[in-house]
Amino acid sequence: MLGMYFLFIPTVYRTARSVYLFFVLMMIVHGCIQGIDAFAEDKNDYLTALVQSAREKRLEDKRTWKILLHYEKAGSGVESLVDDQKFFLAPDGKKNPQAELEATLASFFQQENNSETEHPQCRFIARYTWLKEQLSIDEARLPRVACTKWKEALASMNPKSAVLVFPAAYGNGPSSMFGHTLVRIDSNKRSELLSHAVSYAAYTEGNGGLAYAFKGLFGYFKGYFSILPYYEKVTEYNNIDHRDIWEYELNFSQDEVLRMVMHVWELKDIYSDYYFFDENCSYDLLYLLEAARPSLKLTDKFRGKLKFWVIPTDTVRVVKESGIITKVNYRPSQATRILFLASKMESAHQDVAVDIIKQKTTSQTVLTMELAPEDKQQILDLAAELLQYRFSRKEIGKEDYQKQFLAALNARSTLGASSADAVPVPSTSPDQGHLPDKLSVGAGYRTGSSFTEISWRPAYHDLMDPDGGYVEGAQINFFDLCGRYYFNEEKARLQSFRLIDIFSLATRNKFFQPVSWKVNVGLEQELLADGKEHPIGRLNAGGGVAYTNRILGTSYLMLDADLIAGNVLRDDFSFGIGPSAGILKKLTPSWKLNLVVQSIFYNLGDEHETYKATLAQSITLNTNNTIDVILSREKTFHQYQSEAKVSWNHFF
Amino acid sequence: MKKVLVIAVMSVLFVFVVSSAFAAHKKTSSTSVASTSGRAHKNTGCGLGTMLWEGRANDSSLFQAFQMTTNATSFNTFAITTGTSECDQPSAFVKNDRLNEFVVANMDNLAKDIAMGRGETLEAFAELLQIPVEKRAEFYQKLQANFAKIFTSENVVMADVVDNVVAVSKS
Repeated sequence: MLGMYFLFIPTVYRTARSVYLFFVLMMIVHGCIQGIDAFAEDKNDYLTALVQSAREKRLEDKRTWKILLHYEKAGSGVESLVDDQKFFLAPDGKKNPQAELEATLASFFQQENNSETEHPQCRFIARYTWLKEQLSIDEARLPRVACTKWKEALASMNPKSAVLVFPAAYGNGPSSMFGHTLVRIDSNKRSELLSHAVSYAAYTEGNGGLAYAFKGLFGYFKGYFSILPYYEKVTEYNNIDHRDIWEYELNFSQDEVLRMVMHVWELKDIYSDYYFFDENCSYDLLYLLEAARPSLKLTDKFRGKLKFWVIPTDTVRVVKESGIITKVNYRPSQATRILFLASKMESAHQDVAVDIIKQKTTSQTVLTMELAPEDKQQILDLAAELLQYRFSRKEIGKEDYQKQFLAALNARSTLGASSADAVPVPSTSPDQGHLPDKLSVGAGYRTGSSFTEISWRPAYHDLMDPDGGYVEGAQINFFDLCGRYYFNEEKARLQSFRLIDIFSLATRNKFFQPVSWKVNVGLEQELLADGKEHPIGRLNAGGGVAYTNRILGTSYLMLDADLIAGNVLRDDFSFGIGPSAGILKKLTPSWKLNLVVQSIFYNLGDEHETYKATLAQSITLNTNNTIDVILSREKTFHQYQSEAKVSWNHFF
Repeated sequence: MKKVLVIAVMSVLFVFVVSSAFAAHKKTSSTSVASTSGRAHKNTGCGLGTMLWEGRANDSSLFQAFQMTTNATSFNTFAITTGTSECDQPSAFVKNDRLNEFVVANMDNLAKDIAMGRGETLEAFAELLQIPVEKRAEFYQKLQANFAKIFTSENVVMADVVDNVVAVSKS
């Protein structure tokens, strides 16, 4: 109509054309605005439809959603273990799975801004992928998002398969016995070192000491997930901490591994309060495995149990029971490799390697010695490994190390390739060792009366327990509780309570010279001046040396300091020091013997002396059952007492 | 009073014993400054004896005692690439960050494997250099025979090693 009008009045055509164009432009603009409105309407409609559909399907109750958000039962409802508000899109998302799910859906419709913050479609890629699947979301009706950062990370990792990694305890640090677990994500690269390791660890901000322990116990540290090249983890555990690594290959498909990596991505820079005992590395890692395959019930195994801690080997066992482990690999630490290398050599050749690191001879000299080339190889291989070992423990300065290490390698490089001997895999992997809880029932006779006793120890390993799967000579008993009933008194009493009882028996040889040590804190019945036992508090610590000998087994000598306190003592306490010596010998693989003699001279507080000899024997029936036979005789305050006891231990 | 004193002494002793027991396990930072000339300050941590966890904050003995299940290393979330900006870059490669990082992080083990003519670190290195599997034995042999040309001195850094390996393998 307008056009016709303009045609009929040509005189005003020019002006009219401008007006016409203006109108057209207006219409286009209006159309655009209408279009935007239509889009916004469509967005709202679509979001409403998705929310409706999600409600109908009750997606917030689905296991996958619970796993992705780390929801756990709390009172009548649920609560996420994640404490970082950034992880939730709804203000009450930590406790409200439905609100979180709907806020998540809404966030997918956000327009992408060019700031550094990732779009929720990328930031929460695992949720997005799952919801898209569940609700058949039409991506064309959502804003298009590039997810550059995620795609780059994914391309770099190229996830194909996954491995659960468990670094075992460090020989002379029983507390590391609790170990750690991480997940290795393998790509199509042949070398495992080039894979990536995902682990969960506390960010400790350099705290140390008791404040550290306190914070750890009560969740004041923040735990974060991290991804590092696997070679860094191998160096850390094998070459610096000298811990053997066990690798458990998982039967996850490529898609499942991808789901796990997506979930790891969601947890990037997100913290959860870290609790040493339960919400620790090993527990949180189980969420990753569940994210890969939501039908796996791993975290559930630890819920509702009376236990208030999660030990990494327990998590390995739970994973094993779920049937997803296909293969177990062993990666020996440098210390283990050194001992293996040395075991193939003559003692005189070992001495040459030690002389090199002590700078009594040089690597170059070895080349001129009248020895077979293989012997020279072995000597220089051992010297190089020992130099690295000593440097990792700061027993040698960096400049000395660089010079000596390079000299050894220079000499070594002229001798051809080493043989490809691999360190033999220990017959028992950590998941096959005895279980950490121990229940014992026993009976015996102590001067004057027979008795029966029962004891329970929730964790972890005693020198007398079967060694398979554990580090030999590393004892750590927690919360060891023992009650006894004496028939003549017709009275039950607390025999002992050991809050913590650590004994690290680290043998010395020409390569390593560790200090053996022990710490024991608790309550005990102690023989006192009146010839009776009385409850006392005890703090005992000691240090010394241990050696291994083919005939005697492990023999050790220590100096102990002992503080006992109780109101039956004069001055309420006694403090003394004294030597102890022992022999720990495995007579057969299932028969162990420990002979200990000990004396303490208390010269502060209630002055007295004690002498005690104990012969303990343990017979292993099977992995989780042993019989102990313990004989002892002691003299305190000129009072003598003897005891004989037989007990049955069951690990569970 | 005497009691308090004894308990204090005992506590100190307790801490001492635990500390000394863990002392050997300590990783105190004692970064010695590399004695190379111009490169010195820039290339620290790019040569032999680089400890990735040097000076890690939680080194105290008690930390070790209470370490248990944590294993808190340096706070380094998502270090899919750690970067080698502190190090001189090799001239032979246009850009192979993963190779460079690998060499920086594994220099000692790489040197050891090259000298011994075999090893896992050497295999990973060859893979990053995209040496075909069938040519690796020859490659390892060549590197071993030319060890002194690759690790020219104790102050050798990543850039030298990569450049030297390329030069050797072309020869």
